[in-house]
Amino acid sequence: MSQAHAVAVPAHLAHPTATGIPNGKLGMWVFLASEVMFFTGLIGAYVVLRMGHPSWPGPEGHLSVPMGTINTLVLICSSTTIVLALAASQRGAMGAVRRWLLATVLLGSTFLVIKGFEYSVKFHHHIFPSTNVFWSCYFTLTGFHGLHVLGGIVFNLWVLGLTGRASVWASQSHRLELAGLYWHFVDIVWIFLFPLLYLL
Amino acid sequence: MSAQVTAKMYLKIWGWLAGLMLLGVLLSELPISKATVVLLVLGLSSVKAFLVVLYYMHLKFDRRLLALVLLAPVVLVLLAVGLLYSSTFVRL
Repeated sequence: MSQAHAVAVPAHLAHPTATGIPNGKLGMWVFLASEVMFFTGLIGAYVVLRMGHPSWPGPEGHLSVPMGTINTLVLICSSTTIVLALAASQRGAMGAVRRWLLATVLLGSTFLVIKGFEYSVKFHHHIFPSTNVFWSCYFTLTGFHGLHVLGGIVFNLWVLGLTGRASVWASQSHRLELAGLYWHFVDIVWIFLFPLLYLL
Repeated sequence: MSAQVTAKMYLKIWGWLAGLMLLGVLLSELPISKATVVLLVLGLSSVKAFLVVLYYMHLKFDRRLLALVLLAPVVLVLLAVGLLYSSTFVRL
C-alpha cells in the first residue's frame, strides 16, 4: 500500500462541481439572490406606501441622522474587517484571521446595540410599530435587517470557533468566505435602508 | 483571489465607502429639490453596493455564473419596483 500523505482536502474541493464553483459558494449566492427579493418586497412596500401618502410623517426630527451615520460607518468597517480576515486566511495568518473576525463580531454587535438604543428611545417616547405607517415601515425594515445582522454574528462566531484547531480549519476554511458573502449582503441592505429611512 | 485584491485595495475601498456615505448625508442636507436628492443619494448607494459586490464579494474575479445568479434578482427588482412605482399613478 502506498504511503500517501494525509492531506486534509477542504470539503468543497473534494469533489469537483459541474460549474467549477464550490457548492457552498454557489448555494450562498443563490440564497443571497433570494434575500434580495425578500428585502425588495419590504422596501418596495415602503416606497409605494410613502409615495401614496402626500403628507408622509417623515423622518425629519424623528430619526437621528448622526446615529444612523455612525451605524452605517460601523457596518462598513465590519465589511472591511471580515474581508481582511479572508485575506489573512488565504496567506495562512491564523492569528490575524481570529483578530479580524472578532473585530467583525464586535462591530456587528455595536450596530445592534446602537439600534437597540434607538428603539428604546422611541419606545420611551411612546412610538411603536402601531403608531403610524412610517413607524410600521421603520420597525419592520430595521427589525428584519437587525435579525439578519444577528444571524450573521452567529455565523461569524461559529467560523471563529472553527479557527480554534488547525486540523478543523484545514477542511473548513471555506466557511469564512461564505460568512463574508452573507455579511457583505447585510451591509449592502443597510447601505440602501439608511438613506431611505434616515435621509430621504 | 488574494493576488487580485490586496489589503491596501480593501482599505481604499473602505475609504470610498465611507466617503460616499458622508457625501450622501451632506447632499441630503442641501436645499435642492427632493427628486434630485433622491436620485443622487440612491445613485451613491448603488455605487457603494457595486464596490462591495465587485471587490469585497470578489464578483469581479469570480466566474460569470455568479454574476448571472445576482443579475436575476436585480432584473426582477427593477421590474417589481417599476411596476410598483407605476401603480402610484393609479387612483382607484
